[in-house]
Amino acid sequence: MSTTRIRCYTLGIIMLLILTPILTVGISMAASPLEDLKIPIETVLSLLKDTVYKNPDQRQQQRDKILVITRKLFDFTEMSKRALARNWKSFSSLEQQQFADVFADHLSNSYMDKIQGEYKDETIIFLNQEAVSDGKSLVKTKIQRQTKDIPVDYSMYSVDNQWRVYDVNIEGVSLIKNYRTQFDQILAKESPAQLIERLKKKVEIKIGN
Amino acid sequence: MKKTATILILSCILFLLPGFNAHSADSSAAQTSSSDELDYMNDAEPQVIVADPLFRLNSAVFEFNDKLYFWVLKPIAQGYIAVVPTPVRRGVKNFLHNFGSPVRTVNCFLQGKMEAAASEMCRFVYNTTFGILGFMDPAKDFPHLNPHEEDFGQTLGLFGVDNGIYLVLPIIGPSTLRDSLGMVGDYFITPTAYIETNALAWALKAEEAVNDLSFRIGEYEDLKDAAIEPYLSFKDGYLQYRYKKINQ
Repeated sequence: MSTTRIRCYTLGIIMLLILTPILTVGISMAASPLEDLKIPIETVLSLLKDTVYKNPDQRQQQRDKILVITRKLFDFTEMSKRALARNWKSFSSLEQQQFADVFADHLSNSYMDKIQGEYKDETIIFLNQEAVSDGKSLVKTKIQRQTKDIPVDYSMYSVDNQWRVYDVNIEGVSLIKNYRTQFDQILAKESPAQLIERLKKKVEIKIGN
Repeated sequence: MKKTATILILSCILFLLPGFNAHSADSSAAQTSSSDELDYMNDAEPQVIVADPLFRLNSAVFEFNDKLYFWVLKPIAQGYIAVVPTPVRRGVKNFLHNFGSPVRTVNCFLQGKMEAAASEMCRFVYNTTFGILGFMDPAKDFPHLNPHEEDFGQTLGLFGVDNGIYLVLPIIGPSTLRDSLGMVGDYFITPTAYIETNALAWALKAEEAVNDLSFRIGEYEDLKDAAIEPYLSFKDGYLQYRYKKINQ
């Protein structure tokens, strides 16, 4: 009886010894913030370079494909919360949802315009990642241009084994802080509904173009 | 007994594997940050707030600069790009940037960044000689000679001088009282300030502005487009940018 037990344990240990390296590989694939940033951005860049989308009719299709990727990479709800900061609580849950949606559209538009229009001789270099605190990380990149380099840092946090962006810092200027200053002053005079309306108008104008 | 021993051995093996530790750390991190109360109100760095008592005048100048850009400066720069080939524009940029070296060196020195001051001086000598009066930038191949963009506004900031009030200067754009004073200080150590003929000095200034702009067309439009309230966005952007530079 006890020998069978020992055999069982031995077998178990052997199995585990074989399995653990496989498991470890599986875990380490849930990877570094740098990789989680680099892969989607490079996919976006290759979509932008793809000659299939050269035709203006294909532009929307290209945009949609990029949007799927950016919505996964950027946590727009988190960005909305951070941009509104203490004002977030004064929004009703419906307004919070509306705001997050329209802010996401606005950010995607500006981001897309930036890279869709100008991306020519620029190269993005992924420099390194710094652990900021538990589950938070700063990934440093730079955009190499003809005459100068522009440092762009991504603040990321890990959720469900996936690193997502909650702020972008360009040349020392935090995007979220910049919006926070604007929203703070707008909300001192206007209601949440009015702010959402302003953002909606801005997004509509963009789509109209 | 044996059972306990096996469990012990097993847990030891598991614990020694680097992947297991990483995994446990990962999952706990995921748990804390996925909670709704991610510290979205706290930031590591404080918000820079600068008073804007001249708001009415500032926003008028802001509007003026905006029109000046779209109606005058941008068309000129676009015409300039059409006529002047990129290598020449780059050469002019290098040449005029090289003139700014004394300002950078002095400010590095004043800020106690001796190594930076030395490398800036090195860069100036190297580019002025081997770079044919600075039109070329051979120092680019030596990363440790990278320019240190220091100015007197930053030096004052490092000495603890406050921003004072926010200002929007004609043509130049966002600034503060301190940084404007800094610009005056820097002016006196810029070689071009000592050109005797006024016309030439102004022509050089204009050329610098247009040439610089020729590399940055579209940047202003993007920033303005991304903003909900452009005046506030540019103000905050400028203050954040300067804060970062001073604390570098």
